[in-house]
Amino acid sequence: MADSNQPADSKRPDLEESTNVAETHASLIEGGVAQAREKRIKETGMEPVSLWVILASAIVLLVGGSVIGAGGKLLAYSPHPQGYIRADFPTGGNDGPTSGPIYDALFKRGQKLFAKCSGCHGSTGEGNAGFPPLAGSEWVQGNTERFAMIVLNGLKDPITVKGNTYNGSMPSQAPLTATELAALMTFVRNNFGNAMGDIVTPEQAAAALEIQKSRPAGQQITADELNATHDQMLEGDPIDPTTVVDFETLEPVEDPPGVK
Amino acid sequence: MPTDDIAFQKDSELRAKIDRSLRHPVMFFFASGATWLALSLLLGFISSAKAHSPTFLDGCGFLSYGRVYAAHLNLLVYGWGCQAAFGLVIWLMARLSRKECSAVGIILTAGHVWNFGVLVGFLGIIAGYGTGKPWMEFPVAVWPMLLLSYLFITVWSFVQFRCSEGGKIYVAQWYLVAALFWFPWIFLTAHLFVFVFNGHPVMAAAVNAWFKYALIFLFFTPVALGTAYYLVPKVTGRPIYSYALALFGFWALAVIGPWAGMQRLAGAPLPQFMPYLGAAATILILIPALAVGVNIIMTIRGHEDAVSASPSLRFALGGIVSFLTLGVLGLVLNTPGTLKLTQFSLTGYGYEILAIYGFFSMCAFGGIYFIVPRITRREWLSRRFISWHFWLTVYGVGTVVVCSIMGGLFQGQAQEAYGSAWMDAATRSYAYNIGTTIAWSFILFGSIFFLLHLLLMWARLGRRSQHPTLLKVDDHHEASPHGPEGDLDELQSAEA
Repeated sequence: MADSNQPADSKRPDLEESTNVAETHASLIEGGVAQAREKRIKETGMEPVSLWVILASAIVLLVGGSVIGAGGKLLAYSPHPQGYIRADFPTGGNDGPTSGPIYDALFKRGQKLFAKCSGCHGSTGEGNAGFPPLAGSEWVQGNTERFAMIVLNGLKDPITVKGNTYNGSMPSQAPLTATELAALMTFVRNNFGNAMGDIVTPEQAAAALEIQKSRPAGQQITADELNATHDQMLEGDPIDPTTVVDFETLEPVEDPPGVK
Repeated sequence: MPTDDIAFQKDSELRAKIDRSLRHPVMFFFASGATWLALSLLLGFISSAKAHSPTFLDGCGFLSYGRVYAAHLNLLVYGWGCQAAFGLVIWLMARLSRKECSAVGIILTAGHVWNFGVLVGFLGIIAGYGTGKPWMEFPVAVWPMLLLSYLFITVWSFVQFRCSEGGKIYVAQWYLVAALFWFPWIFLTAHLFVFVFNGHPVMAAAVNAWFKYALIFLFFTPVALGTAYYLVPKVTGRPIYSYALALFGFWALAVIGPWAGMQRLAGAPLPQFMPYLGAAATILILIPALAVGVNIIMTIRGHEDAVSASPSLRFALGGIVSFLTLGVLGLVLNTPGTLKLTQFSLTGYGYEILAIYGFFSMCAFGGIYFIVPRITRREWLSRRFISWHFWLTVYGVGTVVVCSIMGGLFQGQAQEAYGSAWMDAATRSYAYNIGTTIAWSFILFGSIFFLLHLLLMWARLGRRSQHPTLLKVDDHHEASPHGPEGDLDELQSAEA
């Protein structure tokens, strides 16, 4: 080993005595002062492994084993046992706000429902060849009963929108719930540059569903009929768009908490 | 003249020859490593300051938190840690194998390539081309360059080990040879799985998490332990307390080390044995830590004077105490109750800093304070510089670790409270972040003393003396601890 007590060059032990001691001493002072004062590394000690080390290692091993034990089914992907990952939110729901202005609630729902309409009317409501635009349309921004009847019954025969005449056939979008109809109409009336600033309430939408029932089932409506009998606002009290409601029920919240 | 004396002188001559053959590459690695270290600590200070004062140095993109923090850790690992390890490994292996180094030119060239790679990687991160994978942030082109230069730097040490004549293999050599083999395995595997193979991204994240711990436990740990197992018997002149304990500690590390790391991804969609084995293995690291700690401390016992006098021994002991602390923290932080608090908080950072700086770097500093006087043939200039370096490092690292781990646990608890705002979690760790910033400035000061001292030694401006620079003032030489008789020029002129 590096610093065993054997001569440095064991193959030529008889040359040891011939070493020029003075020369070696001089070269040490020149170049190896630090090396000359080094101690040798002695043979490694043979103390036995202490019982305390074994005992402590056993305890550590137990703790490690308990962690693997806590892992449950080790080849499974899920579910992870509690403890290593965060607990679910105590109420079980997600942690977003649960209440806010009714305008936001309806607008977001309407946005999702509009996916179905965007196939013909375009994702920005610009319309298409043969399909009238919703952006800036007088039929959308006009009286709400007339708009609701188009959505619920569908439309046939020519209709003039923004000065252009379209002669297509729109199928009925029913069945819609009152909330869905209210959300869809609120969205369309306040998007694509339309800015009516009001909402269609679920109560008003329910009134529209009642009116639709009085018409012959499955028959598309025409522009003439719309203007003749439905050119009016839907019945029902308007609601301030900023009223804070529960997002689930759309019922007004009495004591609105701050946004969590 | 007795045969023993002559053998001893021949030993000294051989040592001097080995040291002389290695002086350029070893000094190059230590000096460039210390330079990167100072830069890394400065970046650590900046990133820590940004954590509590986001407006600090804002407005320039290259100093944004994500880049500075990544550059800080990557420079700490590749700029300082790996280079210090290279210097230690090639010197220790040459000494322990009793072989002069014959490939100095190649090692130096490869060392320059390594530094060029680190420079390119650093500029890449700062310019916004980092990969975003922790500890692998250098742009992808850099890692093959690093791996290649690693092979050319260290292959000679392995050759020396194989060619050494007779004798049994010393404890320090086990660790050094193991580290030489483990580094390319870890480095290549991790980079292939993360950057080359088109595997599942979650799996790549798991390999990335494993890489960090494997680099700590299978590269930095064995190099640091090899250094400590060399320094302690060498400086105290005592044999290592127990061969059996050393053997136990080595194999425990070799068996346990490769499993640690993936607990970072507990809760991710991975087969559950990955994170759970990772957590268990990190707990079990306490076993080799105990074995090594007991062994080293029992070897030193009774030589408290040597510890207070010798910088090498003092730093090495500090490193070993940090290793024991690392083992205990591994146990505490990976039990089911605490692991969930560490996943998205500062805690992991504190643990990594303790491993890289408190443990590895302290042992490396010990080795550097031992090696540099031998290869430059000059003694360290200033007892005070070493002393300041030691205490600033000890208090600095202690504060960073305590602040990061405590702050991280509080942060984790605040994150668990889903109902409250995220700001609460940041507020809870605010004071601890400030503590970390102050501590980094301490460490930075200490490291600047170290860097200046080392550069002066590199310029061969050290003392020419027979007496080593010790930290304790001898009563008889109150004015000058080294005494006038230690001056080599005077001694030689007196002889003439």
